[in-house]
Amino acid sequence: MACTFSVVPAPASATSALSVTVAGADGRPVEGAVVIAEPAAAPKPPPGLRAIMDQRNLMFVPDVLVVQTGTAVDFPNSDQVRHQVYSFSGAKTFQLALYAGRAHAPVVFDRTGLVTLGCNIHDSMLGHIWVTDSPWFGRTGANGVLDLRELPAGDYTVHVWHALLDESGPQLELHLKLGDGATGTATFRLKRPLRAPLHHHGADKKWEDY
Amino acid sequence: MGRLLAVIGASLALLLARAACAYEFNLSVDMRAVSSNATDSRLAGGLGKLRYDAAHDGLRLGYVRLGYRVDVTQTLRVAAEAIAYGDHDVNPLDLTELYADWRPIPTSAWRSRLKVGAFYPEISLENRMRGWRSPYTLSFSAINTWVGEELRTIGAEYSLDWLGRSNGHGFDVTFNAAAFGWNDTAGTVLATRGWGLHDRQSSLFGRFANASPSPRTVFYDEIDKRAGFYAGVTANYRGLLEARVLHYDNRANLAATADKIHDDAWPTYFDSIGLRTTPNADWTLIAQWLHGRTYVDSALPTNAWSFNSEFLLASWQQGAMRYSARYDSFAAQQTSSNFLPYVNDIYFGDRGHAWTLACSRQLGERWSVALEGIEARSFVAQRVLPNYPNGPPAYATERQWQLAVRYDR
Repeated sequence: MACTFSVVPAPASATSALSVTVAGADGRPVEGAVVIAEPAAAPKPPPGLRAIMDQRNLMFVPDVLVVQTGTAVDFPNSDQVRHQVYSFSGAKTFQLALYAGRAHAPVVFDRTGLVTLGCNIHDSMLGHIWVTDSPWFGRTGANGVLDLRELPAGDYTVHVWHALLDESGPQLELHLKLGDGATGTATFRLKRPLRAPLHHHGADKKWEDY
Repeated sequence: MGRLLAVIGASLALLLARAACAYEFNLSVDMRAVSSNATDSRLAGGLGKLRYDAAHDGLRLGYVRLGYRVDVTQTLRVAAEAIAYGDHDVNPLDLTELYADWRPIPTSAWRSRLKVGAFYPEISLENRMRGWRSPYTLSFSAINTWVGEELRTIGAEYSLDWLGRSNGHGFDVTFNAAAFGWNDTAGTVLATRGWGLHDRQSSLFGRFANASPSPRTVFYDEIDKRAGFYAGVTANYRGLLEARVLHYDNRANLAATADKIHDDAWPTYFDSIGLRTTPNADWTLIAQWLHGRTYVDSALPTNAWSFNSEFLLASWQQGAMRYSARYDSFAAQQTSSNFLPYVNDIYFGDRGHAWTLACSRQLGERWSVALEGIEARSFVAQRVLPNYPNGPPAYATERQWQLAVRYDR
């Protein structure tokens, strides 16, 4: 992956902005890439943060959720069938006993890192939760761009990740310094094509692979 | 038999009572309008390849199916499948599967599973709907027709899953192995009728009064008190490509006979390889290959058959519509015989191929309709024998149209 960045002054702003572009190996924009801008000293996340990781049509919705450390995530089951959500990721190991609807208290994600979610009943279900101390994150749009605003000036590490990423390593991050009132841009270009998207036959209750 | 069914029914009732909030019950009804020129089917005592025949078409009951599953504990599920075909089976409603499935919640990328009871081995990539039905065509491929007729695991299957996709990798792998009993007559139908193409599964306790080869033949019987086994591997790449390999051997003792059912143990073994790819949301392609041998009678020369079948299925889904086409090729050839003097010196055997074209449409959540045309061309050597209806010639081209209206809830 090649990463470039530039910082240009913007006259009438007390805070900085950052525009991140993610392109695939073929140069085309990558939609849905997770971008996290981590300041050198992240502010302590406020208490009481909540988020929702829904389950619909035998899929986790959204497929990737980014939350700040300490966020309580609800796992409602909007399907007609019951789910049994689990993770054995280092950043959070948990199990939600078989349930329908909203049977469980929210799960608090208190360590940074990537948490991979599965359902023990439906192995095709796969979801991700990124836990970060930073409040500056988001996902790229169809044009492969994410604009972050109101960042304090300072040093940042920008991480990029995608659920279909087929590469890893230090090339997925870059360091930059944002001046006060400046607008920074960062461009990432993946080295390898994204993996093919996961495919499954949907939430039809009649289906059950033998 | 009645007693056994009563015991099973009572067990299920108890389980239902025990876990009143944690069960799923579903029902499917399938009605058909059938037009067929086929020769008499196996259920009518004949050597036809299809489910229906010229004497048994018109308005028919496809099936009524009842599915039940209950979560006895967090990790233990009991499932039962019962089906009725309305075609004079000795049991009007009978079980096709009844098993307990233990599936602990993964704490690492490795997960063990254990299934105990009566269930289908993991062999078909085609039968993907509850009740071991196919979403693609009304008639199953020749391979899976045979699985539905003569193969059931009555025993225990252990599976070890590697959940790569939950661990940052692109694929999952499952290794499984099973030990089973009560399948010593597997191979009888292939040897006597040859391959078939239909969706009429045999039930665990059922029997059909007129069915060939013999009305007394019992599927799922233990004759030699010796367990069979199978072992297989399934790999799944992101749901896009799935491959399955299975080796099956019922390890039947050739010398064992069971006078009460007028049959012997049939040593039967085979290998199966299957591939399914779903390159996008619209297309599914499935290919499967199966090759094996079966034997009966320890008198020399022992009767032996070699059998093989392959199919290729393509299915295209667009909204509520699905269009599917399948080509089957099949052969079951007797390679040695000790009953030549009684059968006009012919070796039993069949070979042929079939085309199946189907389209289906989902009508809301619960109703669907499906239309299928099938043409099977086959040579069956034993069609010339006088004890089978319809008589010669040995070659037949059988065609059948089915229009099904289905209700699922």
